[in-house]
Formats: sequence, C-alpha cells, structure tokens
Amino acid sequence: MNFPLWIQNLAIFLLAASMGSAFWFVARSPRWQRATRRFRNDKVGLLSACVISVYLFIGLLDSVQIPAGPHRDRTALDWMFHGIKRERTYSAPLASTSYSATRPQPLEGRHVLGTDVLGKDVLLQTLKACRTALIIGGLTSMIYIPLGTLFGVLAGYYRRWVDDVIQYIYSTLATIPSILLLIAIIMALGKGLPQISIALGVTAWVGLCRLIRGETMRQSQRAYVEAARALGQSHRQIICRHILPNVMHLVIINFILGFSGFVMTESILSYLGVGVPVGTPSWGQMIDSARMELAREPAVWWNLGASACALFFLVLALNLLGDALRRAFDPRGSSVSVSR
Amino acid sequence: MALRILYLTVACALLAGCSNNPHPPPFREKRADGTPWQASYRPFPDDPRSLDPQFSYDTLGHAVVSLVYEEMLEYHPLKTDPYELIPCLADGMPEPISGSDGTLAYRFRIKRGVYFHDDPCFSSGKGRELVAADMAYAFNRIADPKVECPVLSTLAEFVVGLQERNDEAKRTKSFDYSKPFPGIRVIDDHTFDILLLKPFPQLLYWMAMPFTAPVPREAVEYYDGRSHDGTIRQQFKFKPVGTGPFRLVEWKKGLSLRLIRNDNYTATRFPTEGWPAADAARYQAMAGKPIPFLDEVDFRIIRESIPAWLLFRQGYVEAAGLGKDVFDTAVSARQELTPEYQARGVWLYKDAEPSTFYFQFNMQNPVVGKNRKLRQAISAVYDVDLEIDIFMNGIYLNAQQLLPPGVYGYQADFKDPYRQHNVEQARQLLAEAGYPNGYDAKTGKQLQLTLDLTVDDAESRQLAEFEKEQIEKLGISVKVEENLWATQQDKMDRGNFQFTASGWNADYPDPENFFFLFYGKNIPPEGNNNSRYANPEFDRLFEKMRAMENSPERLDLIHRLNAILTEDCPMIPLYHPVAFHLSQPWAPRVVLNPLVSNGLKYTQIDVAMRKQKQVEWNRKPMWPLAGIAAFLAAAGMFAYRWSQRHG
Repeated sequence: MNFPLWIQNLAIFLLAASMGSAFWFVARSPRWQRATRRFRNDKVGLLSACVISVYLFIGLLDSVQIPAGPHRDRTALDWMFHGIKRERTYSAPLASTSYSATRPQPLEGRHVLGTDVLGKDVLLQTLKACRTALIIGGLTSMIYIPLGTLFGVLAGYYRRWVDDVIQYIYSTLATIPSILLLIAIIMALGKGLPQISIALGVTAWVGLCRLIRGETMRQSQRAYVEAARALGQSHRQIICRHILPNVMHLVIINFILGFSGFVMTESILSYLGVGVPVGTPSWGQMIDSARMELAREPAVWWNLGASACALFFLVLALNLLGDALRRAFDPRGSSVSVSR
Repeated sequence: MALRILYLTVACALLAGCSNNPHPPPFREKRADGTPWQASYRPFPDDPRSLDPQFSYDTLGHAVVSLVYEEMLEYHPLKTDPYELIPCLADGMPEPISGSDGTLAYRFRIKRGVYFHDDPCFSSGKGRELVAADMAYAFNRIADPKVECPVLSTLAEFVVGLQERNDEAKRTKSFDYSKPFPGIRVIDDHTFDILLLKPFPQLLYWMAMPFTAPVPREAVEYYDGRSHDGTIRQQFKFKPVGTGPFRLVEWKKGLSLRLIRNDNYTATRFPTEGWPAADAARYQAMAGKPIPFLDEVDFRIIRESIPAWLLFRQGYVEAAGLGKDVFDTAVSARQELTPEYQARGVWLYKDAEPSTFYFQFNMQNPVVGKNRKLRQAISAVYDVDLEIDIFMNGIYLNAQQLLPPGVYGYQADFKDPYRQHNVEQARQLLAEAGYPNGYDAKTGKQLQLTLDLTVDDAESRQLAEFEKEQIEKLGISVKVEENLWATQQDKMDRGNFQFTASGWNADYPDPENFFFLFYGKNIPPEGNNNSRYANPEFDRLFEKMRAMENSPERLDLIHRLNAILTEDCPMIPLYHPVAFHLSQPWAPRVVLNPLVSNGLKYTQIDVAMRKQKQVEWNRKPMWPLAGIAAFLAAAGMFAYRWSQRHG
C-alpha cells in the first residue's frame, strides 16, 4: 500500500521522535537515574552510542522521501549523493575506467569505494544497507521483546502449569536448529523485510523469555513483592508496577545485544540466498556477492571490504553499548555476565 | 644404526614417491607395437545417473554413453553451418520410402562387421555382430514403461506402434519383448525400415541421439542387478555394452570412470573433408585414418570448478571450461589468451552453442498477454549488450531471433525492429500501449509487472536486479519473484507467471525444435509452449514447415514464422551462449561441432609433450625448504649458544 509522501515522512519523524522521547524519559526517570549517571561516565559506552546514532541517522536519511519530479521520489540519502553518476559495471576505488572484459570505459565520476557489478556506488550502497539492517533489527525487536517479556514474566510469576506450558513451547522451539527454522519460515512466508523480521522474531524470543522467567522468579520472592501481595494488590498490578520495571534493564541490554545478532543473521540469511528481496541493499548480499568477486582476476575486494567494515562497526558498537548498559545497571558496580 | 639407515631409506623412498600427479597409472604403459599408450584425463563434474542409452537424458550421461554406444547416424564433427548428419552405424544415409498403401518409412542399411564389445554377457565372451533385430529391440525398450524413456511421447507421435506397445504394457503390467516391434520392419539382418504415422523428417536427428542406439538384449538380461552363483551382477544402467569406440572397464563412484579403446571398432573413420582451410595440414594428416586414436579415457570426477582449474594449470587434465571466476585469468579483454597461457601453448576454443535464451510472456495473462505494444516496449528498452558485457564476459551473441546460428533458417543479417535498445522507441510504444511514462492512462496508477526468475545464488540475484532495473527504465515497476529452479518450472507448467526468463538448447539443429515452443497444440500439459502462445496462422505454417525436407520453400516458411514471432513478441530473444574451453598443447581439440558429444574418438594426444610439460609446470620451489632449513639451523644455533651460556 502506498501512502502519500507526507504521511510516510510524518510517520518516520513520529517514530524517531517517540524513540527519542522514550530515551529522554527513561534517562530522567528517578528509578534509572543512577544507571544514567554511571552511563554518562562510561566513555566507551558513550562513543558506542554515538556510532550507533550515526547509523540511525543514516537509516533515517534513507527513509525520508523527497519528491524528485513527476511520479518519482527519492530518499534524502539519494539526494545527497545525486551528483554521483551510475557506471556500467565494476570500477575500483578512485579508478578512472570501468572494469569490463571487453569494453573498459572512462568513468562518469570518481567513486571513493568503487562501484559494484551494476555500476552502483559502493559507498552509497553500504550506507543504504544501514536502513535495511535497522529495519530488520527494529522490527524484529518489536516482535520478540513483547513476546519474550510477556511469556517470561507470566512463566516466572505464575509458575505451575503456566510455567510448564511456556517451557514446553520454548523447549520445543529451541530443539529445532534456528537457521533451519528461519529458512523454513521464510520459505513459507516469502521473501521481504517484514517476513524476515517475523521469522527472526518467532525464533528469537526464547532466549529473552528464559532470562526474564528466571529474573521474575527471583524478584517475585523478594520482600517488596510479598509486601505488595500483603497489601492486596492484584496480580496485574504486581506484574506491571513491580516486576516489569525491575526486569526492564535486562530487556534493554538484551535488545541492544540482540539487535546486533539480527543484523548479522540477516547477513547470514542473505548469504544463504533467503535474505532480503532483489534490489534491496544489504550487507549480507554484498558479502555473498564477494564469494565470486574475490575469485575474479583481478579480485573485486571493495564490495566485501565496505560491507564487512560497516557491519563490523555496527555490531561492535552495539556490543560495547550492551556491555556499558550492563555495567550501568549493575547495582554492585561490578561485572556480572548477562546472557541472551 | 642399521635400523636408522633402514628408516632413512624408507623415508627417502616415500619422499621420492611423492608427486603432484593425482591420477593412478594408466591401464598400460605401452601399446602392443611399443608406441606410447595414449591415456587422456578429463575432468568430470559428477557421476552420471545412468548409462542406459534409452533412459539417459543429461549431459553427463551422454558424455559417456556417446563413447560406448553409437547410433545409425551422427553429426559431422567439423561442419557447423549448417550442421550435417552423416552415417555412423548405417551404411549410407537412409532412404525415405512411401509404400503403395500410403505408409511412410525410412530404410536403413546397417554396416557389416560392426560388433558389440566383448563382454561376459555373450555366450563366448566375444561381442556378436550388430543386426537389424537389435534396432527393433532398442525401440521396444523405448516403448517399455519400465525403461522410462524420456522421449517416448515425442517419438510415439510419429513412429508406428510405440504408443500401442506402451499402452499395452501399462495395461498388462508386463512388456513382451518376444513380440516384434510394429514400427520396425526387418528386411534382413542388415536392413530395416522405420515406419511412420506421418511425415517426420526430424526422425533422422533422432537417429543420431543415444535414445535410438542399438543395445544387445543379452546385456540387458545379463546385467540385472541380482545375485547369480553368489556374485552380484551390476545393473545394465551401470554396465553399458555397445558398439562404440570405447568400453567402460571401471567406474569408481565419486572418483572416476575409465574407458578403454574398443579394439573391434570399425564403424567410422576420421572424416576426409569438411575441415577449415586454415587447418588443412593438421586435418589432412588424420583424414581417413581408423579411430579412436586414444587408448584410454579417464574421466576424473572433480565436483568443484577451482580444483579442476588448478589441475588443468598443473597439466594433469587435458581440458577445462572457462567459468566466470577464472575467465579473466586466461582470456584477455580482446578475447584472446593472456600472454601466460599463450606461452604455455594452450588452445582456446569458442563454441557457439545451439541455444537461445529469452524472456517469455504468459500470453494468457490479461496485462502482458493482451498488449502487444507493451511487450514490444519491454523488448526495445532492454540493453542485451550491456547484460552480455557485465554477466557473460562479453562473449555471448546478441540474439535477434529464436533460432541460434547454425540451425537451418537462421538469418545472420536479421534485425528485430523491437530489439535495438532504443529507449525513445520503447517509451513511444509504451505510450501507445496505454501506459505513458509507465502509468495507466485510465487509472493513473503505475504499471506493476511481476518477473519470475530462478534466483539461487549471488550471480543470479545480481542478474535479476539488472533485469529489473533495465525494464524499470520505462517507468513501470517490476517485482522480481525469486524462485528455486523446481518452483520456477512448476509455475511455468501451470502458467502461474506474468513473464519470465527461459532458454532452449537444441535437441537437434532443426527449426522445428525451436518453433514448437510456440506451437498452439503444445500448450502445457501437452507440451513446452509455456508462453501459451496461440496463433492459428503460426500453427498452420508450423505444421507445414515441420513436415518438409529442407528446401527454399521451407526456408520461406521459417522466415515467415520468425516474422510472426518478432511482431507478436511472445518472447524477447536475449542471447545465444558461447562457451570458452581450453585444451592443453598436447591435446588440441579436433571436433568443431558442439552437438558432437563423442569428440574424444577423434582426439589424440602427444604423450611425450605432456610428460615434459608436467615436469616443467610442477617444479617444486626450493625456497620453502631452504627457509625451513635456515630457520631450524638458526633455532639450533640459538639453543646451542643458550645451553653454552647457561650451562
């Protein structure tokens, strides 16, 4: 379904604004003020957050559509790169002729990271793939976090048959190799960013559910929960007001660490040929193409180099941010391992 | 001390035995006359599924089957424009005959003195002479449902009795081989007629395909895959016994197939004409000589392309295909060998394959099927030259028509007016089609088309993206449906697509074998007209052309068929593949015709040159050993000094 341009852009701005507000609200919340203070003093964490912000900004730029003539739109990122011409096929970084078997031709312009087989600027493609990665990570998180948190809290709080049923479901899911399950779901749903996100979300909630279940069990035995029960609060109130806020830090850390995992999984799926659809820029597809590009003579290495570096820095930043958040939330101020 | 010397001697002997050569020694070192035994090693991508000539329908199977079996006719190994059939087991070309009762037939005479391979399936162990009854037996096997001959339905339309025998066997659940085959009239041991239901000049091409190769009944019955006296015999599909120039003596699954020269082979000799004038001296030296020249053919199963290429570089296999990954290593931008390979003396061959790749539209689709201008617009906007340059190393031929070069009726100077990559013309056609700038003139909505493609690796994904972008230059939106090969075939069979990319490789070089893809009566499930193109005028001309021998009148019909396809545009011809192959300097290829799959019977190798080149190309560099020795010496020195200092 195609919405008018202004509605699409408004939706993107609203999403970005709501995310920013949520972070601002969380940072100022009295409950997490100590963690915020610690995080502000963590240079590695701050640097990682900056790097991720750059990626987010690039993704945002590639999501905002601007009119480019009758019946044509382009993204803000395309507009920024509009001076860079399309070439016929491969060209090496900063080369002056295209890489062609029969007709090497002078290039229309210079390309910092060269061009790919279809003559597209590799730098632009690498930046455009940020959006794909962010959509995959964001959409998947929107699916698996509510699922994992809800089931984890319910299993840990109610225990008995509720716990048994939820454990049975996730144990069954966990017995199936995740990559096989992913491929099967994508084959059934078809290719596309939403389909990949659904497949990832359906397979990824198990880890978070286990984590939250354990933490909920621990929290529900503590005195403040006993006190809430003694005061006659309902189960819903206890879960929403007391348990959930006390497990949210785990959810946030899991979200950050999981995000990097999804970006990598998308790349792996693209490598296996079940990733994003044709025409969608993706680091995974760029890496996949490198299988034959590296075997060429001379080798085409710039496509792999650019996509691998972009993927590496995002995943590194996300992992470092996850560690920084774990340190910030750690009440003892010492490191405690948190697994997904 | 004696023990140490013994260990040292054994180690030296083992080291001396080390070599890069991955092949076992040849069957023999020398021939009976003392000349070198000519063993040729060829890379082979996988085990064939079956070597039963009536069943095998894949390239790998045919590569072996065509060396072990032979047919009544074969292709001239040197003539390609046009391709020409010549007698093989037949004594002269067959004569078409019409009986007084209106029957149609071809009369074949079998060469005398053609023997099957020596094999235990024959009572004396010696191969017996080929007779006409063996051809009747081969046709009975085509009709036998248990054999599962893949061309039964095609031949049954024309050959008397095939369908009836097949139906009868299905009904009775057994096949009676004692009954004579009604479509073959045996005149004497060396003469037989094939009886036809209707005119079918293409029968001659079928008589050059392995499906019609004679097989001895004794072998089929002997090699039944069962235990006899405690010994399990192989199945016939793994133990071929034919009349061909080679016999299979060893098949190590996953490793190799070894074939040895058939000493009884007399059916054919090296051609005495047909070679290009530039190579006359080389060919004249072989003209009329008995073949095969090789004593042994060793197909080495190498599943990955890079190891096969490395073995070629080392000189351990005689031939190599040039895949995209190594193309630029060996071939320059001018499509010649690079200086390194020129210096090696390697031979480069460029084979135009009798194939055509094309986009095809589903003519039953309400959007593309009913709008000729839209199809023409897509044809005009597509830049095939760019596709060939980027994805096919610039070597494929830009196709302007359905027929590939070499097939009778191909027009070298023909230019499809809608295939000249003219974006302005394409936009004009699109506007005339009712979609100015890609938007529906009535609704104002952008036209969205769905292109079904087989996408199973990075390269096919890049190609799909290229094809999408080319067509989107019209302003329309193209959604690529990525399918696995089987899904794609299924969609084409069911007509569940809008347009798609496809291709056809000639079974035989006759225009009938291409135009039948658009014949109205061949719409699936009846046939391969996946476009579902139905044009009564086309069908009428096709039926007329199909039944004719080559003649000016037939040529005219072919051109008219081509003109109809060009104007109606149910398909957009893209390219005719060209394959680049390399041969070692000691094994130059002789055959020029890509339809010939038994080219090894014409090939010979220079064993001495191979030995010399293998040594030259596999000299072990001494610097790693010297480096290791220096390192060990330095470490020993250091250890000695350290022990001296620290006591």
